[in-house]
Amino acid sequence: MFTFLLTDIFFYMIVISIILYVNYVRKTPDIRETWSYVFRNKTGIISSVVLFFFISTALLDSIHFKEKLYDTEADKYVYTSEIKSLLDIILLPIHKNSEKSYSSPFSSHLYSKETVKFTNNKDKRIYPDLLYKGNHNKYSDDNAYNIFITGSISIIKILVLSFFIYIIIFRREIFKNNSFLDPLIRNKVFFTSLFSMSLITILLYDLGSQYYILGTDKVGEDVLYKSIKSIRTGILIGTLTTIVMLPFAIFLGIFAGYIGGIVDDFIQYIYTTLNSIPSVLLIASAILMLQVYMANNPLEFENIYERADLRLFFLCMILGLTSWTGLCRLLRGESMKLREVEYVQASQTFGLNKFSIIIRHIVPNIMHIVIITVVLDFSALVLAEAVLSYVNIGVDPTTYSWGNMINAARLEMSREPVVWWSLFSAFLFMFVLVLFANLFSDVVRDAFDPRANKNYE
Amino acid sequence: MTRELIKIMNNLLKIKNLCLNIKSNSDEEILKNISFEIKKSEVVSLIGESGSGKSLTALSIIRLLEKSCKIKKGEIIFSGKNILRIEEKEMRMIRKKDISMIFQEPMRSLNPVMSIRDQLKESYMDYNSKDINQEIIKNLISVGIKDADRVINLYPHQLSGGMKQRVMIAMAIACKPKLLIADEPTTSLDVTIQKQVLDLLIELKERLNMAILFITHDLSVASQISDKIIVMKSGEIIESNPSNIFFQNPENLYSQSLLESSSYKRKLKKNINSESSDVLDVKNLKVFFKEKNSILSRNFSYIKAVDDVSFKIKPGSTHAIVGESGSGKTTIAKAIMGLSHVTSGNIKICNKNVLTMNGLEKRNFRKNYQMIFQDPFSSLNPRMRVGAIIKEGLCFLRPELDTKDVDKILYEIIKNVGLDESSLGKYPHQFSGGQRQRIAIARVLVLNPKLLICDEPTSSLDVTVQKQVLDLLMEIQDKTNISYLFISHDIKLISNISDTISVMHKGKMVESGITSDIINNTANDYTRNLLQSVPQIKK
Repeated sequence: MFTFLLTDIFFYMIVISIILYVNYVRKTPDIRETWSYVFRNKTGIISSVVLFFFISTALLDSIHFKEKLYDTEADKYVYTSEIKSLLDIILLPIHKNSEKSYSSPFSSHLYSKETVKFTNNKDKRIYPDLLYKGNHNKYSDDNAYNIFITGSISIIKILVLSFFIYIIIFRREIFKNNSFLDPLIRNKVFFTSLFSMSLITILLYDLGSQYYILGTDKVGEDVLYKSIKSIRTGILIGTLTTIVMLPFAIFLGIFAGYIGGIVDDFIQYIYTTLNSIPSVLLIASAILMLQVYMANNPLEFENIYERADLRLFFLCMILGLTSWTGLCRLLRGESMKLREVEYVQASQTFGLNKFSIIIRHIVPNIMHIVIITVVLDFSALVLAEAVLSYVNIGVDPTTYSWGNMINAARLEMSREPVVWWSLFSAFLFMFVLVLFANLFSDVVRDAFDPRANKNYE
Repeated sequence: MTRELIKIMNNLLKIKNLCLNIKSNSDEEILKNISFEIKKSEVVSLIGESGSGKSLTALSIIRLLEKSCKIKKGEIIFSGKNILRIEEKEMRMIRKKDISMIFQEPMRSLNPVMSIRDQLKESYMDYNSKDINQEIIKNLISVGIKDADRVINLYPHQLSGGMKQRVMIAMAIACKPKLLIADEPTTSLDVTIQKQVLDLLIELKERLNMAILFITHDLSVASQISDKIIVMKSGEIIESNPSNIFFQNPENLYSQSLLESSSYKRKLKKNINSESSDVLDVKNLKVFFKEKNSILSRNFSYIKAVDDVSFKIKPGSTHAIVGESGSGKTTIAKAIMGLSHVTSGNIKICNKNVLTMNGLEKRNFRKNYQMIFQDPFSSLNPRMRVGAIIKEGLCFLRPELDTKDVDKILYEIIKNVGLDESSLGKYPHQFSGGQRQRIAIARVLVLNPKLLICDEPTSSLDVTVQKQVLDLLMEIQDKTNISYLFISHDIKLISNISDTISVMHKGKMVESGITSDIINNTANDYTRNLLQSVPQIKK
């Protein structure tokens, strides 16, 4: 049975609105021209392919359902209270079982010694073998050789798969012009990045079912799986917060700038007041309030997933409410400038009312600022989540998130010998997502800046 | 032999086959084989329209080109040394001592957070010496700043445009350079101040015995001070002649057209029916802006932008408002268009008071009076197609038309203003300044207005383009009997195209009447001063 968490619904809405926007762009030649710059630029192509993989992972992780189980005592089918996502099913070989405690990446035993009773009743301090992965090699007992074979098989798999997909997509062109490589060479950057990303994905999957690639955490859970599950949280915070903040920023910014006078004063007072309250304080108090509410009304929540989800949603809301001021200020300034520009005055002489001037002349001319800020803010918000979780006012501790992983790593880093892989994998995933979001936003900024020097490389 | 030597000695600057291109586009040369000489204490004018490469030539002499510019070949020899070959350190000394430059925009060339004293100090060799203050004051007095000991403590924003340009000149001549490069030094100044600055430059040249490379687009300004004229067009020198020969009979066709366009003459004069009722009747118009002194006090002081102005326009005639910057001429236009509030007075268009009109009535009436703006680059929305721009007013003010009619009107009007039908699908940035102004004209003409307010419609355009746009406007007037309210700072231009004229000064109308009367025998001192300041081409 499918269940819809609150954040799922919003995530679907975001994806749908992106699809609608893409459709709109395809119909409007000038915006299509601008965006086509992004997809002709090398950096643009590579970063959008990487972001596509991240977003699809998050989307798969947003399709939730409850499993049907046969209850032998009651003699009927019941739904489990556990909520799973499609991603969980796909990644089942990776996270099916968990070990006892820490183990390092690609290791075959636990990270710390334990006393084990042997059959001859002699106690020994040894590193116990891992129960599920690491020493259950498929192809060979030698680890290095086994990794090599597994990797080769994965590469062959992905090569064969991409060959067939390629032929199916370009069958017309290939058989008509008798030129197999033509479409490949035309889009070599796109195909190379798509191929490498698919290869990485399948390698992680195949190796991840035999080894703990990024080790295990304190309770023996696969860190790779935790990092992948955190993608949804990161992206959700980045996008949902933006959705909350945009209406405030756009409406208030334009009204303040274009109408001016008392309206301007009023809006300015609102955002200066909001700005002068430290946002961490505001977020902390809001989260604490929510916690009190949840403690007092335990019956409203069916299970822990809903509680964690509500907290995530609430965090996005409050982050959005505290972060619209910057963009609002920018838009106020820009609309103030545009108000005095002669083409706006020209339409005033045609007798257009304020509303149509805002829609026809102001909004199209500030959209580039909005798009640039949104994409730049995205990466800042992903990082903000990590910081907030670190001080315990972020997402729920049961939610997978990079912030929680980093928070846990605080203790892991201080133990001897040091457990570094949790921090490392959170850093790695966050770094890749933020880096490519930034690169993407750079290209988008160039595309929307009419003065930028656009040489298509 | 000796004569040769003297000639070489006399040559201060010699440019030989200078070629320059921009890195990103290495095929196209921006400057092509530029060669000329400047003798000691000679004034050479570089003349050309925007994009002709005159500023780039000047910047290559002082070696301040942007990084993207690459000098491909050629040499610049300044008192025996090839400037392009020497070290940057040596070049700095030359910039400090021998070659100075003044720029077009005095507002932007001075650092707003430094006092005049500190700015001027920088340009002296030994700026730590004790009597530097005396030096600076002496220097400021020599450029015509009388209360120099007060001015040195001021900051740039406290000075007027003319004063700022004087300070810039003082900085440039502080070390008594041998060559002064002046890049459009008077373009942003009012005519009366322009005259003062030009006089100052001539006087300094005599006194300091320095050569001047004067860059301008304005032939009449150039004729005031230059010994030699060099005309540039798209990176090439197309004519180089002594001043007197050039202005009497220019060799090149392009130079001829430049000379012609710089003295615009209206082609035909038609009779205006003085009996018919006025298109525009402005009576005792006052526009005051409140200025609060502080938040707490209740006292307001008023800035009188327009103070008691009245004039009338007959159908089919052109009325001009002339004045220097800050005289309130644009405010009048805005008040008529309803873009600015009106403190008191009456504005009647076709005998209807537009100030008391409201709502629907005003909306329907708006098509009778329209406006074109000064800067064609900011008066068209960059994110709308030309077709949509022209359509905007049409759809809003004449909603009775259906799409077919609208399209028909669009095709007709775009041809009438001399553009191609395909322009309708393009964006404004794909057009040049003159073409954009044509689009702006088309946008208002579709409404068939009876009155068109032109707020400096040609002042940001090159002279030849200026002429084309004016021709278009005059042609339209002959065809449709439209009336123009022409706002300009250029009294010379105005005197050639307008039927009646009002002269504005500091918000007040100093004089008003038939153009020929006022131009030929004015009663007013201010008007006379204005007329005398206008540079005429010396032949």
